[in-house]
Amino acid sequence: MKREKGAFDRLFDVFVYTALSALVIVTLYPLVYVLFASFSEPGEFITHKGFLWRPLGLSFDAYESVIRNPGILIGYRNTFFIVVAGVAVNLVMTALAAYVLSRKNVLWNNAIMFFIVFTMFFSGGLIPLYLIVKGVGLLDSLWSTIVPFAVSTFNLIIMRTSFMGIPDSLEESAKIDGANHATILLRIILPLSMPVIAVMILYYAVDKWNGWFYASIFIKSRDLYPLQLVLREILIANSTDSMTAGADAGDRHQIGETIKYATIVVATAPILFVYPFVQRYFVKGVMIGSLKG
Amino acid sequence: MADARAALGTAKPSGSLAMKRRVVKDFATNKYLYLMIVPVLVYYAVFHYAPMYGALIAFKEYSPMKGILGSDWAGLKHFEDFFNSYYFWRILKNTILISLYTLVFEFPAPIILALLINEVRNKAFKRTAQTITYMPYFISLVVICGIITDFTNSDGVINRFFMLFGYDGQAMLQRPELFRPIYVLSEIWQRIGWESIIYIAALMSVDMEQYEAARMDGASRLKQMFYITLPGIMPTIAIMLILRMGNLMNVGFEKIILLYNPVTYETADVISSFVYRKGLLEFGWSYGSAVGLFNSVINLALLITANWISRRVNNSSLW
Amino acid sequence: MKRLLMAALAIIMVGTLLVACSSKDNNANKGESPAASNSPSATTEASASQQGEEGGTATYPLNTDKALTYWGELTGNLVGVKATHDEVPFFQEWQKVTGVKLNFTAPPSGQAKEALNILLASGDLPDIIEYNFLSDFPGGPEKAIADGYILRLNDLIDQHAPNLKKFLQENPDIDKMVKTDNGSYYAFPFIRGDEYLRVFQGPIIRKDWLDELGLPVPETIDEWTTTLREFKEKKGASAPFTVNSKPRFFNDSYNGAFLGAFGVNRGFYQEDGVIKYGPAESGFKDYLGLFQQWYKEGLLDKNIATADAKSIDSNWASGQTGASVGNAGGGIGRWQPLVEQNSPNAVLVAAPYPVLNKGDKPKFGQKDNAYSSGGIVAVTTAAKDAELAVKMLDYGYSEEGRMFFNFGTEGVSYNLVDGYPKYTDLLMKNPDKLAPAQAMSMYIRGSYNGPFIQDKRYAEQFFALQTQRDAIDVWKNTDVSNYALPPLTPTPEESSEYATIMNDINTLIDEMTLKIVLGTESVDKFESYVEKMKSLKLDRAIEIQTAAWERYKNR
Repeated sequence: MKREKGAFDRLFDVFVYTALSALVIVTLYPLVYVLFASFSEPGEFITHKGFLWRPLGLSFDAYESVIRNPGILIGYRNTFFIVVAGVAVNLVMTALAAYVLSRKNVLWNNAIMFFIVFTMFFSGGLIPLYLIVKGVGLLDSLWSTIVPFAVSTFNLIIMRTSFMGIPDSLEESAKIDGANHATILLRIILPLSMPVIAVMILYYAVDKWNGWFYASIFIKSRDLYPLQLVLREILIANSTDSMTAGADAGDRHQIGETIKYATIVVATAPILFVYPFVQRYFVKGVMIGSLKG
Repeated sequence: MADARAALGTAKPSGSLAMKRRVVKDFATNKYLYLMIVPVLVYYAVFHYAPMYGALIAFKEYSPMKGILGSDWAGLKHFEDFFNSYYFWRILKNTILISLYTLVFEFPAPIILALLINEVRNKAFKRTAQTITYMPYFISLVVICGIITDFTNSDGVINRFFMLFGYDGQAMLQRPELFRPIYVLSEIWQRIGWESIIYIAALMSVDMEQYEAARMDGASRLKQMFYITLPGIMPTIAIMLILRMGNLMNVGFEKIILLYNPVTYETADVISSFVYRKGLLEFGWSYGSAVGLFNSVINLALLITANWISRRVNNSSLW
Repeated sequence: MKRLLMAALAIIMVGTLLVACSSKDNNANKGESPAASNSPSATTEASASQQGEEGGTATYPLNTDKALTYWGELTGNLVGVKATHDEVPFFQEWQKVTGVKLNFTAPPSGQAKEALNILLASGDLPDIIEYNFLSDFPGGPEKAIADGYILRLNDLIDQHAPNLKKFLQENPDIDKMVKTDNGSYYAFPFIRGDEYLRVFQGPIIRKDWLDELGLPVPETIDEWTTTLREFKEKKGASAPFTVNSKPRFFNDSYNGAFLGAFGVNRGFYQEDGVIKYGPAESGFKDYLGLFQQWYKEGLLDKNIATADAKSIDSNWASGQTGASVGNAGGGIGRWQPLVEQNSPNAVLVAAPYPVLNKGDKPKFGQKDNAYSSGGIVAVTTAAKDAELAVKMLDYGYSEEGRMFFNFGTEGVSYNLVDGYPKYTDLLMKNPDKLAPAQAMSMYIRGSYNGPFIQDKRYAEQFFALQTQRDAIDVWKNTDVSNYALPPLTPTPEESSEYATIMNDINTLIDEMTLKIVLGTESVDKFESYVEKMKSLKLDRAIEIQTAAWERYKNR
């Protein structure tokens, strides 16, 4: 009986590893493709067809042309600020709301929740938002990409769901000890929710990192452009499909195709490293540990 | 019931006194909680509700100089234009079908991935698998769709593979019946890792003691997965499903227009891509806003329904 | 459920309250802005009479210490090279030679539409806007004037823009294009000064293959079929003929390449004073029949529905393609070096637009209008000194200004060699390794657009290959001028109706075309599609076009 079960579990292991390995190989390909393409000789790459399994030639032209842009460094600086300050604001606001809305026996919570969820569906569009941002004096400042987006409703819901999963008994015993809400949130709820907070950091950081649209509307000064906006301009300027103009240079278009990939590498490499950092907080049994400690 | 009535201030006369007492009592116990959420409520009021009058342009002939409130009324003209459009039923059907296929096939994929990753003991492999599967999410759609087109063209890898099984070798994106499978499969490919993160995080709070008890009872790992792990993340799954239902009418136009072509319009053309093409010909601010409003109303209705069912069935709900 | 409904109601009520509040202060804002934008125009007239030169010969640089604000997108050629107008030598020089200081603001590339919308809605108008008011503004230029964004320039041009006025008087056909149906001038136009600059696209074919196979450059449809067959059989080309199909099959068919042999194009045209719609004419059926046949035989790219710029590039380079349709610059100029990588002897040449019978003159072909709507510049109602703005913008149409816009500064970007302005190596072989198109955009506007008259001598030097220069002469030879319509504008009231009709019809035609070409449907279906076009109110669209054309003729 016992051996039979062991065999079954081993079979299960084989299945798990095989399935995951296959998935890893399949999902690795786009990344490999982008990397190889970005280092390829523009001329060779553009003539290539089908499966790309090595860089075609070796050329740093595309990177040179991306990095030569004076806006890149400034863009990195601005984006760094937006991510750090933005995520801080996001976390505080989201945690506050999630905490309140996850409490039981609060008369107005359901109404507030609906008030918030309603905004996922109906919005006034760009112009009224612009007028508001202008009205509160955030125009042409990096804060215009942070304050108007202080809470993501989707993330708030996820965080609230996670807070609700924490057993009431912990809170009750703390209350008996005379703890107030601030203490409960900071000493009990947050330490027990590290995995979900890590996810929130990741979600918000990625969101801030990739955002360019509102910056393009709210920010006028070029020295405040975030990285993605700078890179987007490079992409548009080099897009191979803009061949319609009367007379266009041939050589520039060749490099345009590889620039696309170099831009993607420059734009995403740093944010990819957030995940391994976040993973460290995916530790099982945090709750058990804290219960005993 | 009580809270909503309180919100309206229209409680039945018989209960009004009891109501008032409840409100007062509730405020006395929870005033600090309400104080904590005030900044968030102010945020929503200022940046979401205050601009909401902009939705009026769906009922107007919007002109920037006259402003949203000053523009001339158009009544339901834009809605009628949309409903009476020659292609209305086709794009509605395609939108719903693509959404449903995605829901049925793509929604469970990250859950399965999270469960599999949870079963891996080797830490290095576990981390590598997580990190790599989440990467395609960051590659821009243009590139992803370029790769898809390459692979499914008459001389592409995938096409060649299926030719071994008797496929006729025609470019797959030129076949209307293959559009939706290609769309959904590539959606899984790009999003599975990213979307699994939330479930992996949820797995962390499943009580370890339950596993030990199960092991004592001699339950196989497959059984543990079904009877401990899965129920452990059920609240998260339920919430994600509710949110997904509230998004049913939204099929993004970007990926569609990168993959479709006129031959596949009959299965691929959705509301957003149709509006996009229309927008190329004219500034459809008002029209686009009317279509958006239509989608939102349906989405909200679906969300409310899903939320209601979920509350009845498994006790997790948004409100 | 009931409770939810009530909650929803509550929210909506809160919402409307907020709406009411915000609408109030919005109106307050609105109250100010028209006044603010009216008063400057009043002062404009005052200053106009005050400065009142005799409306003729302004001498540059103008004597003024006023500065103007200028809003416009920076050309894509300069992205990554220079971040702002101020750093670009051309714009620095422009201020010097006209004597007017300009304060530039630029929207992010590719965001001009959104940025302009916001600009107009928020009421902070600059003095001068460079934007395509003809095709990228809802309701068109007449509406932009009526709504009070930009000035009707007729009087200002008459009095203060002698150079533009003179040019328009001498070119009444161009004059018709640059004004609206009501006769209003709305912007300083970009004008392609020579036919040579207006034709730049057509069929392209591999001459080296033709020579090897002993074939002439094909002229008739039958010769094309034979040629493509030979390419396929003897040269092993898997996609003998390919065209760009993003976003729709055979994009360039709008110009009537190949369709022209059957007497139609992909859009509206006129014949004997009657407006016709190509895809509803029987010639279109013959064209579909031909392409279906080609596809079946493997003469057309098998992946034609998904063919984009990149796949065409790789088909050319790998010797899978022998013919296509493209531009002199973006086609021959782009593909020639690609093809050479693998077959050093390859030569791409232009082929004439195909005809049915040898000796016929092609009915259609690409030819842009002399007035091109990109790079046009309007003066806003908020302009502090509209007269100064008009004088300054008139520079590009003077003798001196035309040289400056097309060739830049003598001794820097060009030298006169026997009276011919020859670009220096600073532009053509840039020391900082900038491509010619980029280097040119630093010192001149001749290479893209702007408020001036473009000079043929720019293109002569820009086209590096003899085959490119010859191509223009080959493609030029069509009758398109007899059939093409001028740029028509529906009235603001009709424009939305027209767009709705044409959106449905275009979708239908795109589907019909590709389905028939790929053989999913038989050519015999064509008539039923024409019926559907009729039910989608094609006749009404033709009616709107006809009315617009009438108005145009009466301009």
